[in-house]
Amino acid sequence: MTIASTTQLICFVVLSVTLVLGALGVVLLPNIVYSAFLLGGVFLSVAGLYLMLNASFVAAAQVLVYVGAVNVLILFAIMLVNKKENLAAIPGLGLRRLLSGAVCGGLFLLLIRVAFTTPWPLPGPAAVGEEATIRIGEHLFSDYLLPFELASVLLLMSMIGAIVLARRDVLSTDVITGELVDQGLIEKERTPLLLEKSPR
Amino acid sequence: MVTNTAPGLDLESSFEQALQGFGLSPGAAHLLWLPLPMVLVLVAAVVGVLVNVWLERKISAAVQQRIGPEYAGALGVLQPIADGLKLVFKEDIIPAKADGLLFTLGPVLVLIPVILSWLVVPFGQHLLISNVGIGIFLWISLSSIQPIGLLMSGYASNNKYSLLGGLRAAAQSISYEIPLALAVLAVVMMSNSLSTVDIVNQQSGSGILSWNIWRQPVGFVIFWICALAECERLPFDLPEAEEELVAGYQTEYSGMKFALFYLGSYINLVLSALLVSVLYLGGWGFPIPVEWLAGWLGQPIDAPLVQLITGSVGIVMTVLKAYLLVFLAILLRWTTPRVRIDQLLDLGWKFLLPIALVNLLITAALKLAFPGAFGG
Amino acid sequence: MFGFLKKVGDYTRDAVSAANYMTQGLAVTFDHLRRRPITVQYPYEKLIPSERYRGRIHYELDKCISCEVCVRVCPINLPVVDWVMNKATKKKELRNYSIDFGVCIFCGNCVEYCPTNCLSMTEEYELAAFDRHSLNYDSVALGRLPTSVTSDPAVVPLRELAYLPKGVMDPHGVPDTDPRVGKLPSQVLDSLPKAAPEETAP
Repeated sequence: MTIASTTQLICFVVLSVTLVLGALGVVLLPNIVYSAFLLGGVFLSVAGLYLMLNASFVAAAQVLVYVGAVNVLILFAIMLVNKKENLAAIPGLGLRRLLSGAVCGGLFLLLIRVAFTTPWPLPGPAAVGEEATIRIGEHLFSDYLLPFELASVLLLMSMIGAIVLARRDVLSTDVITGELVDQGLIEKERTPLLLEKSPR
Repeated sequence: MVTNTAPGLDLESSFEQALQGFGLSPGAAHLLWLPLPMVLVLVAAVVGVLVNVWLERKISAAVQQRIGPEYAGALGVLQPIADGLKLVFKEDIIPAKADGLLFTLGPVLVLIPVILSWLVVPFGQHLLISNVGIGIFLWISLSSIQPIGLLMSGYASNNKYSLLGGLRAAAQSISYEIPLALAVLAVVMMSNSLSTVDIVNQQSGSGILSWNIWRQPVGFVIFWICALAECERLPFDLPEAEEELVAGYQTEYSGMKFALFYLGSYINLVLSALLVSVLYLGGWGFPIPVEWLAGWLGQPIDAPLVQLITGSVGIVMTVLKAYLLVFLAILLRWTTPRVRIDQLLDLGWKFLLPIALVNLLITAALKLAFPGAFGG
Repeated sequence: MFGFLKKVGDYTRDAVSAANYMTQGLAVTFDHLRRRPITVQYPYEKLIPSERYRGRIHYELDKCISCEVCVRVCPINLPVVDWVMNKATKKKELRNYSIDFGVCIFCGNCVEYCPTNCLSMTEEYELAAFDRHSLNYDSVALGRLPTSVTSDPAVVPLRELAYLPKGVMDPHGVPDTDPRVGKLPSQVLDSLPKAAPEETAP
């Protein structure tokens, strides 16, 4: 066994253990902030696995998108609404946990079976390595163009939805005079903050 | 530090051959070689930080017509070391109501990505730890881990100022990451590669005239503003705005954990300056191409002596350019007032992002129109 | 369409003016880089206080007539004049006099109005104490004279900017004999044309 393969094995074991334990922690820990941070750890170890498969671009993209954006946004949301409140006890919590545990266990067994019965082509296709960036770009702009664009449309829709939800105070009609306001001027001519309290 | 086989000097193979001369197996020799460049770069980063701290104090003093550090060594050069020693020996306090685990993990998570990013900083054609294909993209993705560390330390401190500082830092990093990446993308588009070595090589045609700053002036400004925001330097230091947030996410930290933050922010500043010099100022390139100089002096470019001089000039040029940018950052610190958080987000999302997009589109158009000047 | 163009124009103008202001600011800071530091290495070096410096108040018990003018002109009636009427001599007998420098604002009104000139301003400004009550100076403490900066062997005295010779900006190494810029009042008086002898001469 050479040094390189030993190192690879050690890295794989460490990353896998981190991944599995982290994922279990995300689900099982009662503190939601810990779960969110562990989720970041899980994403990072997935990126490490990608790196071991010689897919460095995918690994970097994984870190950038999942750790840098998704996980930070989750943390943001948790921390901005981190109110300590005692939740009402759910009736039959033990039974519910048992049920969900059973469902998860069944799913896990199913996946194990699939993993063992599928005839994996071994060794798999040779890693593309540094060429991967170019190949991904080519695919995104040729045969995967439609899903790519659909995903962007989906993101646009969710963004508009978020804006509509968040900025309900800014309406297209002037609150005082009732006439239509130029879209470009909405932000500048904001209605006074204490409008509701003023006598009508 | 040599990854490829250089025509002249090859430190790696000569080092390994020397070790094999002592009776070691090739594998063991390679194993002994492996940590050397990393340790070297780590030392370089820390020394860079010490120099940076000293420069910061001296230049700040000069701008304010003070003397600055004076008694620790000649001209106060030992002051950063004294600062560091002080931080090492200070008591390491974990507040009683803080979350000890996350409190300790936060600063580590802030520092590690910054140090890892030094992987891709080239000081010469073959003088970098790893010429990875994704090069500059690695830096962008690694720097996006940092906000998690900041959020972690802000949350774990169990202090409203810390939490606000951490949230501000994360919001700031996320909003400035995008124009930064777009500015980098324009450069990458011109050099057809993400690798930092290729980016510098693409600028090395005719010395100072072929540097990217002439082809990407807008990108340079965007990148510099975003880099300052990522490093939390003034005018964008509002995560640790003293007047409002005590010290932001650093409020509860002391001793070595605070030192990690301190180190991280300064390593990040040096790193950003180095990357600006790599992306826009021709990296290790001398303003006049070294090949021309060697040609005028009648020396073959492959001669070991010329290689040695070229390598040294490369390191000096990279560091010099980086420290010129650091100087500019320090000067900017005493020139500009801190922006408000809404102004910061406005600048990032409503000004830099559209401009970066337009810059990218124009670069693409120019690349199609003039493939000779803007990379084929 | 034109609204959009106008917006873009405003945008550009804003950006250009912002860059302009930034350059101006950088020019100012850069200009400061080449100026000499004005640092005074206190406590090894000290500036010589000016003639009219309003420092800690000096008080001479022997001159005081306990008239309490200082108390009346003080904005906060700070000086404490502790006297008793001596019935036999029908004179005030002063027992103690004190000023609390933790409260004093050094306005100098008491010095100005003292009929016997028993109050005067010194050039002492190092009043730091561990206890604010020790800032309440009694007549003995008020009677002490401060060490002059120029006579203290442990201190390098430096002249203030207005007292330096003409064109000199750095107080270090300027000889004591060099005259200050401008003229002293006595020199101004000498340079004036001699006034006609006064009519009501004694």
